[in-house]
Amino acid sequence: MILFKNATLFDGKTFYEGTLDLLVREGIIETFGQNVSAPGAEILDLGGKVLSPGFVDLHCHMRDPGFEWREDIESAAAAAAAGGFSTAVAMPNTDPAVDNDALVRYVIEKGIRAGYSRILPAGAVTKRREGKELAEMGKMASAGCVLFTDDGAPVGSSRLFRTALQYSQSLKVRIMEHPEDTSLSRGGQVNEGRCSSLAGLKGIPASAEEIGVFRAISLSRETGVPVHLTHLSTRESVSLVREAKKEGLAVTCDVTPHHLRFSEESVIESGFDSRFKVNPPLRSSDDIESLWEALADGTVDAIATDHAPWHLDEKDLPFPEAPFGIASIECAFPGVFTCWLNRGKPFGLDRLLALFTSGPASLLPGEWPSHGRLTRLGKADLVVLDMDLERKVAVEEWKSKARLSPWEGLSLFGWPVLTMVEGRVVFDRSRE
Amino acid sequence: MEWKHRHVLDLKDWKREDILFLLDQAKNMDNLIDRPIKKVPALRGKLVVNLFFEASTRTRVSFELAEKLLSADVVNWSASGSSVSKGETLRDTAWTLEAMGADAVVVRHGASGSAHYLARKLKRAVVFNGGDGAYSHPTQALLDAYTAWKSFPNLEGRKMAILGDVLHSRVARSDIQVFRTLGCEIVLSGPETLMPFDVKSLGVTYEPDPWKAVKNADIVYLLRIQRERQEEGLFPSLDEYHLRFGADEKLVSKAKEGALVMHPGPINRRVEIDSSIADGTQSRILQQVRSGVAVRMALLYLCLGGVMA
Amino acid sequence: MTLREKAKLMSETDMERAIRRMAHEIVEMNKGLEKVVLVGIQRRGVFLAQRIRDVLRQFEQVRVPTGELDITLYRDDLTLLHDHPVVHSTSMPLDITGRHVVLVDDVIYTGRTIRAALDALMDLGRPDIVQLAVLVDRGHRELPIAPNFVGKNVPTSRDEVVEVRVSEIDGINEVVICERQEG
Repeated sequence: MILFKNATLFDGKTFYEGTLDLLVREGIIETFGQNVSAPGAEILDLGGKVLSPGFVDLHCHMRDPGFEWREDIESAAAAAAAGGFSTAVAMPNTDPAVDNDALVRYVIEKGIRAGYSRILPAGAVTKRREGKELAEMGKMASAGCVLFTDDGAPVGSSRLFRTALQYSQSLKVRIMEHPEDTSLSRGGQVNEGRCSSLAGLKGIPASAEEIGVFRAISLSRETGVPVHLTHLSTRESVSLVREAKKEGLAVTCDVTPHHLRFSEESVIESGFDSRFKVNPPLRSSDDIESLWEALADGTVDAIATDHAPWHLDEKDLPFPEAPFGIASIECAFPGVFTCWLNRGKPFGLDRLLALFTSGPASLLPGEWPSHGRLTRLGKADLVVLDMDLERKVAVEEWKSKARLSPWEGLSLFGWPVLTMVEGRVVFDRSRE
Repeated sequence: MEWKHRHVLDLKDWKREDILFLLDQAKNMDNLIDRPIKKVPALRGKLVVNLFFEASTRTRVSFELAEKLLSADVVNWSASGSSVSKGETLRDTAWTLEAMGADAVVVRHGASGSAHYLARKLKRAVVFNGGDGAYSHPTQALLDAYTAWKSFPNLEGRKMAILGDVLHSRVARSDIQVFRTLGCEIVLSGPETLMPFDVKSLGVTYEPDPWKAVKNADIVYLLRIQRERQEEGLFPSLDEYHLRFGADEKLVSKAKEGALVMHPGPINRRVEIDSSIADGTQSRILQQVRSGVAVRMALLYLCLGGVMA
Repeated sequence: MTLREKAKLMSETDMERAIRRMAHEIVEMNKGLEKVVLVGIQRRGVFLAQRIRDVLRQFEQVRVPTGELDITLYRDDLTLLHDHPVVHSTSMPLDITGRHVVLVDDVIYTGRTIRAALDALMDLGRPDIVQLAVLVDRGHRELPIAPNFVGKNVPTSRDEVVEVRVSEIDGINEVVICERQEG
C-alpha cells in the first residue's frame, strides 16, 4: 500500500487542479483526491511533482531473441522503467523474427520474469519478416501480441500489405507500418539535401518515406482498416497524415524523440559521428519544425522511441559502415520535454504528456488503452516526474546495453523519479 | 603565427589567413625541391604511417616524397594483405598504429568521415586526410589553390568552373571550400545526375550548359569521369559525356584568355579532356603534381614540427 | 610570461659603428673580398648582412654577394618551442662551393642556431671557409661554437633576453636587454 501525497495529478489527458493524494493498494489505484488517508500505507510526499500514468512506448527494439549482446528483454525492461515507461512494445525484428504465437509468449513471459516494466510483443506481418507470406496473425493476437509490423522494413509489397490489413481487421490489432520505398533509399546514409550534398554520402530522399506513407493511407482508405505509421520524419509525411485524419480515416502516427531534437546538421557538425546515424535519417530543421507543428495540432498520436541499441563494437565505426539506430529510452521524455521548454512551451504540458501516455495506449488492443489513463480502480501503472530536476545524460550508467547515443552529455530536465507497474515499484531514482 | 589545426581532416574551419599562410609556407618548401640536396632534417625521428584502404598511387607517392624530404620515417600500410582485409576494424588499426609509435597517420579510406573517425580514436598521432569517401580531400584542394595562386596571386573575385562528376567527388567538395574561402565565384557544370542534390548548400551555382559555365572563367577545373557511374546508369555513355562536357579547344576558348586548366589526375583523355587541352599551354596539370609535394611538406611540417609530440 | 625592458645596450649609432668595424675585420681576415659571400640568417641576420654589404661597397667599392638562409627546418629544438617557427625563404645569389661564407646573425647564445645554420649551409654546397659574424655575443654556449666577428660582448643571465631591433622589421635600430616576468 503506497500513498502518494501532494501530487500534481495528470490523468492521461488533463491535469487536476492543485495537488492531490493518490492511494495504491494491491496494484490498483484505490482512490485519489484531497486528504486521502490510509493507516499503514507507505507515504511518499511528492511535494507537487507530477504523477502521471506510466509511459507507453510503441516502438522499442529489445533484440531478444537472437541479438542479446545488443540488448535483451531484461535490460530493455529495466531501461524502460528508468525512462518512466511502464509498458514497452518489443519489435519483432529479432532472430528468429517474432512471427508465431510461441515467440509472442516467449517475449511476454521473459518480460514478466524480468520484473521491470511490462513488455508487450509486436508480431511480424509476414513469416520471417520476408514480406512474402502472412504470418499467423490470428494465433499471435490470441497469444497477446499488440501490434503487427515488419519494422526495420516496410511490408514487402503493396498487395501483401493490403491483404494483411484485410486479414487483421477482425483481430483488432493494428498494423504499424515503417514507411519506406526501399528502391529510393537503398544504399542511403543521410538525408538527401544539405547533408548528402555537403558530406558526399548517399542520400535518403524524403520521397522514400512519403511514398510509403501515401501507400499506407491509400490502402487504409480502400480497406477501411486502421493503420499506424511509425517514426515519421518529414513535413510532407505528417501533412499526408493530417489530411487523412481530416478525411476521417483511421490513420495514426508517431514520431521519435531524436527526430524532434536533432537535424542533419548534427551529422556534419559531429564530424560524421555514427551516433547520429538512424533510419529514417535526421532531417532538415524545417522538417523538425513541421513535426512540432504536428504535435501541436494533434496530427501525431504518440511519441515512440524507436530505441535501437547496438553493441559498442558494432556501432563505433566510420559513419557509412555503422548500422542505423539510436538508443534513447532512458532519456526519451526528458529529451522531448527539454526541447519543449527550449521552444517556449509551444502547447500545453498535458498535450505533451498525452503523447507518452493515453496517446500510444489508445492504439493498443483490449484492456491496454486504459493503462494510459489514471482512473479509480484502474491498474496502478504510474510514473512520478520531477520537472525541475536537471541531469546530464550519462550513457555509461544506462541499464540498456547501448553505450553510444547522440543524447550523451546533454543536460536535460523532467526526469522520471519513480516508475510503477501494477503497484510494483520498478524504478526508484532515490535508490539508484 | 600560431598554427591552430592539429589534424588536417577537412577545410571547413580554415580561414582565409590560414590558407594564405599555408600557401606561403608551401612556396618555401617548393624552393627546396630545386636544390641539389632536397632533404632537410625537420621531421627527423618522426614516424609517419601512410594508411591506404584504397589504391591511390599519386596521393601516396606525393605524401611519401614529402615525408622523406622532411626526413620523417615512413611506413606504408595498405589494406591488401594486412589485417584490415581480415576484418580488423579501423578503431583497432588506429590503436595498433599508435602502439607502434606513429606520430602521424595519412589515411585514405572509402567511407566519408573516416578521417574524422580516426582522429577521434587516436590520442596522440596527427591525422592527415588523404581522401575519405566523397567527402573531403583537403591536401588536393590546397595544392590546387597553390597552383592557381602561383598564377593569380589574388584569387578574390576570380571565376572558377568545375566540370564533371561533382556528386561523387571529394576533390570538388574540398576545392569548393578552399576556393570559396579565397573569394572565388564557382559554377558547376555536368550532367544533372552527377550533381549534388542541394547545390546551393555548397555555396555555388549550377549551370547545365558547359559553354555558359566556362564563359569568362579564370580557372577551368575538370573532374575525372569514372566508368562505374555509367554502369550505375547516371549517364548513357562516355562518348556522350565527351560530346556534351568534354574540354576541347572550343570549350576552353570561351574562358578568359590565359585561364588555367586543372585536373586532379589521373586524366581520361578523350573523356573529360582532349589531349590538345591536357598538354596545352594553359594546362597546369603537371604543376599540380609538383605543388602536391610542396603543399604536403608544409602541412606535415606545420602539424608535426611544432608543439606536438 | 612577459618581457620587461631593462636597459638599452646599443643605440643606432653604436650599431652602425660595430657593423663598420666588423666589415673591416672581414676584409682583413679574408685578405680582400674576392671569395667572400655574406649569408644572413633569417630574419634579422638578413638585414645585418645587407648592412655589412653596404658598408663594404662604400669602403671597398666591391659589391659582395649576399644571401639569406632559413634554418627553421634544421633546428633541433622544434618540439621545445612554444610558438611555431615559420619557414622563411632561403636564397643564395651563387654557388657557395669554394667561397668564404660569412654567416651573419643578430645574437649568439647557445650556439644551436649556428649549428643548424652550418647544416643548412652544407646542404647548399661546400664552402672553403665558414666564418661567423654576430652583433651581440651574450655567452652561455651549449656547443663548441665561437664567432669570428663580434659587435659587442654582453654578459647576461639566462633569465634575460637580448633583443636586436632593426628598422626593416621593428621600425627602429637598437639593442635592448629584457627580463622575463611571470604573469
